[in-house]
Amino acid sequence: MRRTDRYRYPVIMTLLVLLHFTVRSHLGGDRVAPDFLLLALLIYTIRAEPGRSAAAGFILGLLRDALTPVSFGAGALAHTLVGFFSSWAKAVFFAEHVFVKGCLFFAGTWFRNLIVVLVSGQLQSSQVAWELLVWSPLQGVTTALVGILVLWFFRGWLSPRRAGGGILRASGVGGGAGVGGGMST
Amino acid sequence: MAIGTDRYASRADTLLFIFCVGLSIAALSLPDQWRDPLAQGLQESVLAPFIFLQRQTELLAAARSRYDHVVEQRDSLALAAAFLPELRSENTRLRGLLGLSARLPGGYVSAEILHQPEPTSPLSFVASAGRRDGVHPLSAVVSPEGLVGLVATVAEHSSVVLSWAHPEFRASAIARDGSVVGIAAPHGAEGPGVWLLELQGVLYRQQVPAGTVIVTSGLGGVFPRGIPIGVVVGPAGEEKGWGRTYLVRPAVHPAELSHVMILTNPRSAGADLRNAFTAPRDSAAPREAPPR
Repeated sequence: MRRTDRYRYPVIMTLLVLLHFTVRSHLGGDRVAPDFLLLALLIYTIRAEPGRSAAAGFILGLLRDALTPVSFGAGALAHTLVGFFSSWAKAVFFAEHVFVKGCLFFAGTWFRNLIVVLVSGQLQSSQVAWELLVWSPLQGVTTALVGILVLWFFRGWLSPRRAGGGILRASGVGGGAGVGGGMST
Repeated sequence: MAIGTDRYASRADTLLFIFCVGLSIAALSLPDQWRDPLAQGLQESVLAPFIFLQRQTELLAAARSRYDHVVEQRDSLALAAAFLPELRSENTRLRGLLGLSARLPGGYVSAEILHQPEPTSPLSFVASAGRRDGVHPLSAVVSPEGLVGLVATVAEHSSVVLSWAHPEFRASAIARDGSVVGIAAPHGAEGPGVWLLELQGVLYRQQVPAGTVIVTSGLGGVFPRGIPIGVVVGPAGEEKGWGRTYLVRPAVHPAELSHVMILTNPRSAGADLRNAFTAPRDSAAPREAPPR
């Protein structure tokens, strides 16, 4: 492992956070624009253990709840669940394939919105239907597209490395738990 | 953290997850008096730089939008300013028409000139007043500066005006002081000379100095006496026969007009309008200072 590897994740996370607070408002409607903060959490969960992912999700959700105090706690719960299950599912099922990661980003976004909508209880039934059937899928798609773009752009930084230092190539099959040995977060 | 085969759902992970879920549920059940100060504290501490960054970004975007709006306004104003001299000239002319209408004895109608893009438009043009407005053939058409022409044909709501530049135009003319009599006619049918008038038939023994103001004489019963025609600028060329011909700079150019007045009262043909018009000016002098 190179000495600079430990700085790569913070750099990418910081970049996504900055994008969220600067660029996101110019990328379309608030309900459709990609969620860079959730994307940062999901990318973090690809490498981190489920417990740390849940903690990171809780902190992120709590901070976002501070910006929308009406549903305070709903975001924390949603991001905790998304962080934990994303990391757990990635460790158990997912291969190192960019399409699978895109599906993870889409599902994570939709699942986060589902929990927030249900737990906050602020929306009516028709609004819930619109949110879950229209807006959340659209936001999931945009978030997944941006996530794939980020993974492609930083593929040299984000690719799991073997213990000997070589980069594992993405493959459509195989992989799964423990593929990226030697990477630390 | 190490990534290995033991990375999913260890006991510590599960406990941490349950702890976070519990905290989330606790946050959900917080009363308002606790929730709001907590949210405000987070906004003013951890989230403050990010909120500041977002606010600055929005300000930047708003400033850019306003800049685009200002540029659009500037372009619109520049376009409007391009027409300002024309509007000022038209305004001055309309004020002149108002002044002339107050000085005329009566029997006139104001009309707009319906300019056409053809190059022969100044020779004859359509005016927006017709038979319904009291216009009849051979009515004199004037502007505050002087004679424009006469009505050739009249329709119900419009009329065709032959300007003094038309080759068939003739008007009995006289010097303002009555010393010289002649016939005013266009100098040429083509070329730049078409925009000058001639004072024909001046007695050979009479010398007309440059700057002499020529007005209509009232003879013939078409034009009233005293409508300015132009200013003598010099002899028209080599003398032929027993008469002299002088070049006259017209008092008004038809192409620069937008409104005219048509004298509709038949009795006005015998009237004397010398005091109704402004004195013709030398067209070489600037009529209006250009706007800066």
